[in-house]
Amino acid sequence: MIGTNASKTIGIPIAEGLFIDTADGPQLIASLCSCGACYFPKAARCSNPDCKDRMPIEHRLGPNGVLWSYTVQHYPPPPPAKFEQPFVPYAIGLVEFPEGLRVLGRMSTNDISVLRIGDPVRLVLEKLYGDEHGNEFITWKFRPSAEQ
Amino acid sequence: MGNVAVLGVGLHRFGKFEESASEISRKAVEMALEDAGMEWREVQAVVAGSPRLSAGGFGFGLNGNEMESIFGMTGIPVFNVAAACATGGNAFSLAHMMIECGQCDTVLVCGGEKMPRGFIPRPTGAANDASDVDYLRWACVGIPNPAYWALECNRRMHDHGTTEEHLAKVVVKARGISVHNPNARYRKAITIEEVLASPMISSPLRQFEICAVSDGAAAAILCSPQVARRKMKKPVWSAASVIATGQFGDSKMRIPELSGPSSQSAPFCSEATGAVSKALEKAGITPADVDLVELQDNTPWQELTYPEVWGFCEPGKSEWMLDRGETSIGGKLPINPSGGFLSFGEATIAMGLFQVFEMTCQLRGQAGLRQVEGARVALGQTMGMGGNGAAIVLKN
Repeated sequence: MIGTNASKTIGIPIAEGLFIDTADGPQLIASLCSCGACYFPKAARCSNPDCKDRMPIEHRLGPNGVLWSYTVQHYPPPPPAKFEQPFVPYAIGLVEFPEGLRVLGRMSTNDISVLRIGDPVRLVLEKLYGDEHGNEFITWKFRPSAEQ
Repeated sequence: MGNVAVLGVGLHRFGKFEESASEISRKAVEMALEDAGMEWREVQAVVAGSPRLSAGGFGFGLNGNEMESIFGMTGIPVFNVAAACATGGNAFSLAHMMIECGQCDTVLVCGGEKMPRGFIPRPTGAANDASDVDYLRWACVGIPNPAYWALECNRRMHDHGTTEEHLAKVVVKARGISVHNPNARYRKAITIEEVLASPMISSPLRQFEICAVSDGAAAAILCSPQVARRKMKKPVWSAASVIATGQFGDSKMRIPELSGPSSQSAPFCSEATGAVSKALEKAGITPADVDLVELQDNTPWQELTYPEVWGFCEPGKSEWMLDRGETSIGGKLPINPSGGFLSFGEATIAMGLFQVFEMTCQLRGQAGLRQVEGARVALGQTMGMGGNGAAIVLKN
């Protein structure tokens, strides 16, 4: 189980190998190729047909990015998406990182009035949903500057 | 005269039906054979769309084999092809090549599908593996297909000043046309107010602004010029049928990816744009020569964006064209005179052939109250997840 911060357990990652909590804050586990191409989740091979190397190495993204666009999802999508009941509409952001990569993720707030295209956002690791055993399942999210 | 003729077309009305996918496909094929004035015995090969989400094709997506067993087991070659929502265009392209290279004189292309209700889901039985981004996009983000389009649409509103009314107007235009198309699923005219009162799904996109998922089927018979001359005075020609895949450096967020590049070093929506530009080039035409376009309007965002990306108008000009009625029937560039995906809903593997049906009717002058006067050149485009694009130019 990754996702531990000092002595405080923050929950179970929904999938392994996507993010990590560090002393400098949460980071996404991506990969960066010598040609400059960046991938999340990390890719074993570079897709750039002009790249000679084609072997990206692990690279951490975050925590700072810029909100490129966002949407609010008003109806629950089908499984394997999971939700706590009752369903609450949620915001999804597309965030640009300095490496030249846009990454999809939940926004930490569902309040659309604080979301502005072009605003700085910060990567956070938060609960996506909990189960009946008290487990909390964690994913990466983006926190808008207005909430920092 | 061209190298490949469209001899016959068939379409099963779109909607939600009790009958099976093979039954609605059979009806579309029967109609295409009749339209071509052909017996099943004359069909030399089949290229069929293979569905990802639904039953049919003996449960293995072998839809072409199913047609061959229904119409008569003549032992002809059958291809079953898959390219998600670009499958129909993909199948047409293979059939076009088979005629063009002289392997066959007559080829049947068909695609019919019954779709599950609601958001297009992950295929039943797919393993929930953390190395599969299509699993991760549902499990970690909860992002359905329309939300990908919503993100692009929201950014367009920010960059170009597109309003909610513009989005609604695209739907009003499509539904206004659908009144005159007996094959459409939604056939009632609708007002801007009604569109804007429909429930928000993936903001800024509302229910009526997102194409539904439908049951439907379409078919076409392609043939060589020799056969065409024998059968028909003035056939419609397939001037170009091109498929393409995604290019590295395209910033359009591709379903089901979790990330993509911020800067654009390839054509935007490269699988669609690559197919369209190659098709125009192969047909020896420019956007100015095109009399009508059938494009994949999953939402108004596509209809506003694609003409700009393909060089039919300047970036940010689509709303101006829409406001002036230039993309309506009777305008300079009629877009989706069929009523489009917004009026039909999507039966994924049929869509490329649904466009061929409409374009053929238009070029023959048989489109009734939807007729684009004097239509001589038509462009059809589809795009499928995973980076599949297809474009077809028909001429008369």
